[in-house]
Amino acid sequence: MGSLFRSEEMALCQLFLQSESAYTCVSELGELGLVQFRDLNPDVNAFQRKFVNEVRRCDEMERKLRYLEREIRKDGIPVQDTGENPEAPMPREMIDLEATFEKLENELKEVNSNAEALKRNYLELTELRHILKKTQGFFDEREGSMEPGGQTSLTQNLLPEDTKGPIQLGFVAGVILRERIPAFERMLWRACRGNVFLRQSEIEDPLEDPATGEQVLKSVFIIFFQGDQLKMRVKKICEGFRATMYPCPEAPADRREMAMGVKTRLDDLNTVLSQTQDHRHRVLVSASRNIRIWMMKVWKIKAIYHTLNMFNLDVIQNGLIAECWIPVADLETVQLALRRGTEKSGSLPAILNRLTTIEAPPTFHRTNKFTKAFQNLIDAYGVATYREINPAPYTIITFPFLFAIMFGDFGHGVVMALFGAWMVWKEKPLSAKKTDNEIWNIFFGGRYIILLMGLFSMYTGLIYNDIFSKALNIFGSSWHVSLSDEELSHEKEFMLDPTNDKQYEGAPYPFGLDPMWQISTNKINFFNSYKMKISITFGIIHMLFGVALSLWNNRFFQKTLNIYCEFIPQVLFMCCLFVYLVMLVFHKWVWYGGVGSSGETAPGCAPSILITFINMVLMKGYEEKKPGSVCEPYMYAGQFGLQRFLLVVALLCVPWMLIAKPYLMHRNQKRRQMMVQANGGEGVIEEGGVTAEAPAAEQEDMGEVMIHQGIHTIEYVLGSVSHTASYLRLWALSLAHAQLSEVLWGMVLRIGLSSGGHSGGIILYFIFAAWASLTIAILVLMEGLSAFLHTLRLHWERKEVSKESRIVGTRVEFQSKFYYGMGYAFIPFAFETILEQAEENVVAEQCK
Amino acid sequence: YIFLFFQEKMLDSAFNIDFGYLEGICRGFKNGILKQTDYLNLVQCETLDDLKLHLQSTDYGNFLANEASPLQVSVIDDKLREKLVAEFQHVRNHAVEPLTLFLDYITYGYMIDNIVLLITGALHQRPISELMPKCHPLGTFEQIEAINVASTSVELYNAVLVDTPLAEFFGECISEQDLDELNIEIIRNTLYKAYLESFYNYCQSLGGATADVMCEILAFEADRRAFIITLNSFGTELSKEDRSKLYPTCGKLYPDGLAALARADDPENVKQVAEFYAEYRALFEGAGNNPGDKTLEDKFFEHEVKLNVNAFLQQFHYGVFYAYLKLKEQECRNIVWISECIAQKHRAKIDNYIPIL
Repeated sequence: MGSLFRSEEMALCQLFLQSESAYTCVSELGELGLVQFRDLNPDVNAFQRKFVNEVRRCDEMERKLRYLEREIRKDGIPVQDTGENPEAPMPREMIDLEATFEKLENELKEVNSNAEALKRNYLELTELRHILKKTQGFFDEREGSMEPGGQTSLTQNLLPEDTKGPIQLGFVAGVILRERIPAFERMLWRACRGNVFLRQSEIEDPLEDPATGEQVLKSVFIIFFQGDQLKMRVKKICEGFRATMYPCPEAPADRREMAMGVKTRLDDLNTVLSQTQDHRHRVLVSASRNIRIWMMKVWKIKAIYHTLNMFNLDVIQNGLIAECWIPVADLETVQLALRRGTEKSGSLPAILNRLTTIEAPPTFHRTNKFTKAFQNLIDAYGVATYREINPAPYTIITFPFLFAIMFGDFGHGVVMALFGAWMVWKEKPLSAKKTDNEIWNIFFGGRYIILLMGLFSMYTGLIYNDIFSKALNIFGSSWHVSLSDEELSHEKEFMLDPTNDKQYEGAPYPFGLDPMWQISTNKINFFNSYKMKISITFGIIHMLFGVALSLWNNRFFQKTLNIYCEFIPQVLFMCCLFVYLVMLVFHKWVWYGGVGSSGETAPGCAPSILITFINMVLMKGYEEKKPGSVCEPYMYAGQFGLQRFLLVVALLCVPWMLIAKPYLMHRNQKRRQMMVQANGGEGVIEEGGVTAEAPAAEQEDMGEVMIHQGIHTIEYVLGSVSHTASYLRLWALSLAHAQLSEVLWGMVLRIGLSSGGHSGGIILYFIFAAWASLTIAILVLMEGLSAFLHTLRLHWERKEVSKESRIVGTRVEFQSKFYYGMGYAFIPFAFETILEQAEENVVAEQCK
Repeated sequence: YIFLFFQEKMLDSAFNIDFGYLEGICRGFKNGILKQTDYLNLVQCETLDDLKLHLQSTDYGNFLANEASPLQVSVIDDKLREKLVAEFQHVRNHAVEPLTLFLDYITYGYMIDNIVLLITGALHQRPISELMPKCHPLGTFEQIEAINVASTSVELYNAVLVDTPLAEFFGECISEQDLDELNIEIIRNTLYKAYLESFYNYCQSLGGATADVMCEILAFEADRRAFIITLNSFGTELSKEDRSKLYPTCGKLYPDGLAALARADDPENVKQVAEFYAEYRALFEGAGNNPGDKTLEDKFFEHEVKLNVNAFLQQFHYGVFYAYLKLKEQECRNIVWISECIAQKHRAKIDNYIPIL
């Protein structure tokens, strides 16, 4: 049997590795990905382990590569991903790699610092150019307002003529970040007591900050003031606000000349800058070709050394000792890999020993891309106990099926199936595109589930005969309206009589529900009863199946006690009450109604099953046939007696479950004690040797066993009632879905369809868009999600396990019948997963 | 009375509407504070790279991953502070009133330190650009770099501080005197006194658990300042009268203890004052300058850590934010101390850090 039904058998192995070949062996095992190493020195600090220096070197290489990658991304150069998977390089290659990275990093740093200096220069020149341009504006303004004859220096005119003598005003021009202007202005005013005059003008195009490479908005300002003291002060403030000041000549001619100079220098700089950029680009492009491979190599080396750090040193033989879990089926492959590893390094072969242990091995389910999603659904609740029955293979069918019962609509099913099929079809290109989008990743991870859910929904949709809330009449309805059109036009409603063979053919619609129901007024009543019964039926089958699986579990673990004291009474209890209920349902369906039925099988005579069942459990007395009525109160002869019998059996099962197991365990324990006393000390050793875990389990406190068993019993008995009720969610959600889809059709699309004329076509166009998007968003997405969650709940179990008391709390529905989920997952040392994780980190960082 | 009780309960439950997320995040951060076992591991480190490796396994994670080896202590210091500031800013950015003001109050203390640092630097003719990296990032404000415009305290007030929140604390120290070293110290302490008192009053006005927790911490802070000012004033030009003006009056020493401190002439007198207060007596008694003894400063730090840890025992109050910041600062000091000891191969005193949890 494949390991999907049970987790694989695991073996704890000890590995003796020669120190020369340890690295290559671990590398081979990493490629294989079938071995889970145990940390043999958990108490040792990270920095006190043997290969800490190597790990540190890897960290350093990783840092350099990250730096490189950042730079590559900054320039928008695509990183080539050839999909190649390089082998982990030999330790001696590490030095080469380190040298390469070192060289690259230094080169890049040098180029960057050059570029930064150039850019700073460039920025200064551009700022200066702007200043010259803008101040020209300021001065021009002044000149324009002046009387034409005034040929004095510009700055003189700021003061009225009547002051004695021309007072020379000084000025400072510069550039400042735009957002700092208000504070700057206020500060100037405060510090200089209003004795300065500030003009500013915005530079329209953003400038690049050479240090960070960001685009910043700046403004040109010019400040006029008088006297040296103020000048000092203004300069200090400018410095304080990180404004850059530039010399700006006073005479227009000088300014023009300077502007020309600046322009030529800018042009020169531009060519130099583009050369530097070209150089940088070349370096980065050549690096971008290899960076993926380098990254992988470094990650692999790091992973290997991390693993080696978990090993014990064997001082005598100069080797390393590792302990690891290996699936028994793969021991051979692992041996081969080890041989390859030792051959590569040319040293003595590695030795693999199987150890016996009482420790619980990890749970390992071999999955493929199809079963993986289902396995994840199960594991998300709890990893199976070692070698426990794995619910995943059954889930592959039951999960989409229960979902489809709630989501039964052919149209919506088609939409969902197409989406799933598209994802499965485009699997490779889609999975190659790595995104950080969590929602997409969830959908994509569950593509096979979605596809199956869609297909099953199509099937149930056909059974319900429900396509966007409309029915298909493929085979022709079995119901006929016997009136003529003339007569019908007067009637608003018309009742069809199933006993009338003109109106009912006598045989039901061949597949699914009769399309007639979709347009009948008592549609809801009919669907209610139908879907409720369906959901109870499937629920009971599902639960019974769960209980049956526990038989396999118990037989596998050879817990015969559990079979006799738990499994049998559980099945009996379930059958006597709930399976009987289901049988009543079918009996009622077959026995009553339809063409040709009369007397006690007439449609009106069918008793309510709910009432019947309640009466049965409440042990109501025998009911006499009502006088004057053709109907029998019971569905078949001897029903009363059978029901009593079943109830008594079911009730007897409760103490059986409650007491039998603790009592038998107690008796066994006593007998063993007596045996030990009779045999003396020898017996103990023998016992302990044969069954390693048995004594520990048996000597558990009897009181605890009692409590445990009590809780288990109560949980089962109450659970089977509440779980049965819980399966009614199938009915509720299915009805809700059908109703919603009907409302959407009636309230939205009908408006479009019923509007006539040319304008009607246009209206329909928009209304259809609205209807379609609402269908997708609400019915397929939201309803689908809610149905999914409910299905999940029906499959999962919910339990509150407190480890100390090992009391298993409430567990629900299917899995609770057999699944403990107390194991821990097998996490093999595999480069594949390590690389995936590392890459995810990179993607996450990029998205930041 | 019932109404009051009800209102109080209501306030408690309403606390989470606005601040539950932030308090939760703060408590989460607090759980990342290094434990005693972490310190035991850290002091075993041989090099700073070992230290980095160990910090990687704590909540600090990869905060040093992008730094080239060999590490410098100053780099570690910067990164530690950067991380703390980022956390604080995150909380500050998500805060609404009155937590916003509370958090701002915390930053005022750093502003005072920064101003004093810059002015002192300016007095020694150091360029501002060189000093700025030394300023605490929580205490920066827009005008701070232009601070060397001022040569007297009046100018300092009129030009720089009048637009900052510190303006209200500045009232008492306006004078036409030129700024010199003593002057600056006086300004710092006066500012700090006004700041602490204002913060104290503000916390009291918030009421509830915030007042309980914060007043306790701030009272201790005030008293510590009073003690330290007194101890540092011996042998300086500071007159007793001036000295007594610097004592924050929101501590437990107020008024009798402060009056006694004002009269103190030597450290012995200070110790006598502390004798009257149970918690301070213990601090002074345990302290000493002999090798192996803990210094008074460390004793004060230890007591502060205790108070801050206690702040986390109550829920629904703002004190946790203050306490977290202070605890984390202490942790940064610890890590830097250990790193210094490792870097200088001077391991004798490596155990002089102050464990937090």
